[in-house]
Amino acid sequence: MKPEGKDNFTPKIVGYLCNWCTYAAADMAGSSKLEIAPELTVIKVMCSSRIDFNMVLTTFFNGADGILIGGCHPGDCHYDKGNYYTRRRFALFKDIMKILKLDPERLQLSWISASEGNRYAEVVNSFTEKIKKLGPNPLNGNPYF
Amino acid sequence: MESKKTSSKIGVYICECGPNIADNIDIDTIIARLPSLEEYQNKELVVKRYKLLCSNEGKEFLENEIRENEFTHLVVAACSPRDHDTTFINVCKKTQLNPYLYKMVNIREQCAWIIPDKEKATEKAIRYIRAATSRVLKQSELIEKQLDIDPGVLVIGGGISGIETALSLAGKERKVYLVEKSSELGGKMNMFKELLPRQNGNRDIIEKKIEEVKKNESITIFLETELESAVGFLGNFEISLKNIKNNQPGAEFTVGAIVAATGFRLTDTGKLAQYKYSKESEVYTSLEIENMIKRDGKIVLKSGKEPESVGLIHCVGREEKGYCSQICCNYMLKFISFLQQQSDSIKIKDFYRDMCLPHKEDQGFFEEVKNKGADFIRISDVKIKGTHVEYTPIGKDKKEVDVDMVILAPAMEPEKGTEELAELFNVPLSETNFFQEEHQQLNPVETSIEGIFIVGACHGPAGISESMLQAQAASGKISTRLIPGKKIVPEVKVSEIMEDFCMGCRTCMDICSYGAITFDGELSVCVVNEAICRGCGNCAGSCPSGAIRAKHFTSAQIYQEIIEAIR
Repeated sequence: MKPEGKDNFTPKIVGYLCNWCTYAAADMAGSSKLEIAPELTVIKVMCSSRIDFNMVLTTFFNGADGILIGGCHPGDCHYDKGNYYTRRRFALFKDIMKILKLDPERLQLSWISASEGNRYAEVVNSFTEKIKKLGPNPLNGNPYF
Repeated sequence: MESKKTSSKIGVYICECGPNIADNIDIDTIIARLPSLEEYQNKELVVKRYKLLCSNEGKEFLENEIRENEFTHLVVAACSPRDHDTTFINVCKKTQLNPYLYKMVNIREQCAWIIPDKEKATEKAIRYIRAATSRVLKQSELIEKQLDIDPGVLVIGGGISGIETALSLAGKERKVYLVEKSSELGGKMNMFKELLPRQNGNRDIIEKKIEEVKKNESITIFLETELESAVGFLGNFEISLKNIKNNQPGAEFTVGAIVAATGFRLTDTGKLAQYKYSKESEVYTSLEIENMIKRDGKIVLKSGKEPESVGLIHCVGREEKGYCSQICCNYMLKFISFLQQQSDSIKIKDFYRDMCLPHKEDQGFFEEVKNKGADFIRISDVKIKGTHVEYTPIGKDKKEVDVDMVILAPAMEPEKGTEELAELFNVPLSETNFFQEEHQQLNPVETSIEGIFIVGACHGPAGISESMLQAQAASGKISTRLIPGKKIVPEVKVSEIMEDFCMGCRTCMDICSYGAITFDGELSVCVVNEAICRGCGNCAGSCPSGAIRAKHFTSAQIYQEIIEAIR
């Protein structure tokens, strides 16, 4: 696979959003007709705590340039404390990414509540910009297994 | 290209949503492009557009299409599933198609409305539809089970909250079991002679309600009794009681829901250094004053004489507790009003930090009392030595005054035994040690365990009217959830543990918020109780051996979605 140049690079970004907060925020951003970078594809999960490291790895190995995980604010989890587990696992994900020589900046965790449509748009747009600057995922087409 | 057809037949229906989707997504391009894509070459695919799928005509159209085409899988590309997922699930249910073999794609909020460039919006919509069609093929049928329920309710606590809950719920087809640890019903309200003046205030309210409870044939009262165990889930809880007096096992029965109405107590002022006083001194807590009013009909000193000056101190223990008890300012005003009626010449000094007057009538009451001559002093600090009060008015120097009597308003805290009860139910307590509701706005009277409710002051400081409000709210929720004669359908998108992969580490058991996972010692594996599981998937995310499948959100399904989403 030929790496694209940074200038005309269209990143592939996956957004894992929890059903109750961040997915609802995405809806709100939509109904407010805010302009949002089209590069991020949303995948809905019931709770951000569903996301395990295999899922993060599979996403990167299949060519994603960035992953955004969106959950409820601490203390507001629809399932009581799922997002606290997400936060712990997230710290672990980042550590393992370093071992795989993947820039940990490619993975972001954001707490976005159902009423924060504006914030959702800002987070997605700035994350997309960040990934554009980081360039293509170096693992793409060169998986470890 | 292979021409071999598999047995699956996928329907993709694109909703125009009036102009909402059609204006910014080129639906015809999608219809033309999809069938030419590689992954559909060996599959039957039907792609159609419709002006408004959620309309009655739209639903009928979709229903007929599913039947006539004999679809095995269905994708609806329309608005947010938060708006209409249920609509299309219900359409599927009318047909041969299992609703878990359908998937909704949000091309309105996530494409048409947020991407101004029509071409880019269309590209993204195609990506979403591809992801959904390939995911839907990995989805499996889930069968919704119907469970019988017991409409009965166990109410723990015979105070005003418990009594109101019992009265609101008891009926011909719904039994209520009211459990009280003391020897009489009424709770803290038994200590009050008068309520706030505007509550037309006397004991009639509680006495009438107690009579009603006793007369109601659908309510069984257990006095001097506590809960021994409660096992089960919404619709089916097995209850055993315990007689406190002789420590013997009590009645056993089944209920569909449990309401904790265990109330509060006042914080122990003896533990607060600045409010230490001897039993002989003329210092009283608010509940002692309530008792005195009920017993003697007036507020008097130990000598039997009426006090000529009274100091009232608010917020006793508020700082230590970290929360406002909400009702104290109001009852302190009640005491002042009572003292003013008792004697025209009474000198009142009211030491407050913040005046909490939350109801629409409170401000008027405060002004009435103040206009009659009570001295309200906003303080930053206060300390008593018996009835000698040292206080610091805000922004001024320390002062001191001697009064005949001091009345303290100690913070409310959860009644003794709340912690044990929470443990028994496996429900969390908040940082303030009161019961924690599932969600302050979305589910304010239910705990994280479905079917276990919390009302009144065990839930957080609450006055009589708030307690009754919560009791009625919980009763409303219970009566709509547990309808006599009707069955309930538990969540089917639950977790499942594959015995062969489980190594019995019990990580999932520790993290489950609902106590839905138990350990089977014989097989040394964990097991999910599907009736309790809510399907968050946290256990699946935590399992080190990948033994847990979150149904409808399995790794295989999500991986398939990822592959297409970033192809």
